[in-house]
Amino acid sequence: MKRILLACGSGVCTSTAARVKVEKILDANGYKGQYKVDQCKIAEVASKSGDFDFVIATTMKPDGVKCPFLNGICFLTGVGVDKVTKEILELMK
Amino acid sequence: MSYILSFFNFIQGLGATVMMPIIICIFGIILGTEKGKSLRAGLTVGVGFIGLNLVIGALGSNLGPAVQQMVTRFGLHLSVIDVGWPAAAAIAFASTVGMVIIPVCLLVNIVMLLTNTTQTIDVDIWDYWHFAFTGALVAIVTGSQTLGLVAAVLNMVIIMVIGDYTAPGVEKTLGLPGVSLPHGFSGAYAPIAIVINKIIDLIPGVNKIDINMDKIQEKFGVFGEPIIVGSVLGIIIGAVAGYDISKILQLGITMGAVLVLIPRMASLLMEGLLPISDAASEFINKHFSNRGKMYIGLDSAVGVGHPLTLSVSLILVPLTLLIAVILPGNKVLPFADLAVIPWMFVLITPVVKGNGFRALINGVVVLAFGLLIATNLSPLITTAAINAKYALPSNATQISSICDGANPLTWAIVRLNDLGTIGMVIIAVVAIGLALMNRRRILKEAAELKLAQ
Repeated sequence: MKRILLACGSGVCTSTAARVKVEKILDANGYKGQYKVDQCKIAEVASKSGDFDFVIATTMKPDGVKCPFLNGICFLTGVGVDKVTKEILELMK
Repeated sequence: MSYILSFFNFIQGLGATVMMPIIICIFGIILGTEKGKSLRAGLTVGVGFIGLNLVIGALGSNLGPAVQQMVTRFGLHLSVIDVGWPAAAAIAFASTVGMVIIPVCLLVNIVMLLTNTTQTIDVDIWDYWHFAFTGALVAIVTGSQTLGLVAAVLNMVIIMVIGDYTAPGVEKTLGLPGVSLPHGFSGAYAPIAIVINKIIDLIPGVNKIDINMDKIQEKFGVFGEPIIVGSVLGIIIGAVAGYDISKILQLGITMGAVLVLIPRMASLLMEGLLPISDAASEFINKHFSNRGKMYIGLDSAVGVGHPLTLSVSLILVPLTLLIAVILPGNKVLPFADLAVIPWMFVLITPVVKGNGFRALINGVVVLAFGLLIATNLSPLITTAAINAKYALPSNATQISSICDGANPLTWAIVRLNDLGTIGMVIIAVVAIGLALMNRRRILKEAAELKLAQ
């Protein structure tokens, strides 16, 4: 079971958009049921990140992140999704 | 127009919890989303509304009496509860203007693109609520939904131009190439920051000051955690209200719960809007992607992670509470929107070029005025909430929010309408003037681009 943290400014809007898309990608690649996604505010990432396998954020990387960090802005713009998808699938192995 | 609006009035009479699912479902089908998916999206939005209603109810019925006791005991006039932006967004979407805001704003964006008055493809459908919020308040002031809608459109035009103008700064300071932030809340602070920054430049000595904010995030990090902020504030308010120890602790846990639960409920609203937002952005992207230099308009949440933005916002959480207590004329008790302070800074940060001291000065100024604005707009926001059939706890309680209740642009648009038609004319002249200025810049840029090739 991989634990994924999805972060944005409020833990509400853009992280929800990214979460739905990331879940779709993971399910399509056969990871259904093998991951758990939590959402939070970017300000909480530093203190929460220790409990997660990796973080995807729709904003900049803050200091003190204790796990791999991926930029998920592509899930909002639609530009460069393939590259980040590859990185996510790599981290899921 | 009036037939359409009265039809929407009927649907609105059903209450946001019934109306929004129907509207979202219909939009979804029109935009070509599958029926089942559209229905599920609509129902998810309904769930979000009911959830938000429950949590705001818990907030009001617990915090309301404590706040009133606090007022009678110490004469602390903080009687207006800050219910936060998720509630403000829900109120905005549930208003008559809010019901038509998504297709109207899409249309405005398309018209602006066709007339070269913007370079931004605004795919951030969710944040159209800011324009609907302004529109809903103007509709209350003027008693006309049509004028409300006009105000919402003009608000969007102004914000789109600000989005274009700040985009190079966003690219440079925030490292987001090809992105602009036409955000109704963040955008309003860019012009103010430009003015304050200029003033500071002119003061000898002061214009050299900078504060290093590197270590702030570690030390003040706790102010970014809603569960802690909510619980501690609840306990303090309970104590000031003169509650006994068991009631103080209960208020503390309840307020912590409210701050954690509000975003959860709002994310359901967002999830329901996603199919609509995806379909709309696909449509607009497909038709307008090959037109010179283009920006994709996103929620300014993408810029919230900037270290300076986060640090200054964290310091400002306790400072805002202090300002709220000592500022004469303020009645707003900052609470749910303490989490929204970073949004104010997303565009201030590029303007002050990462200078910590200037960001802090900007923050104190806009928050102090913001609290007065939020106080001034609170009767209108309370009316809008009642119009949206929101369950307000006790009749005596008034509500407001920092986002967008404290938004200077929203305030200016609403209060100019107090002057009658002339007010709206002024807003229209400003909006159209900005749009034409932007058009000249865009055409010049396009000509230079062509020359360079």
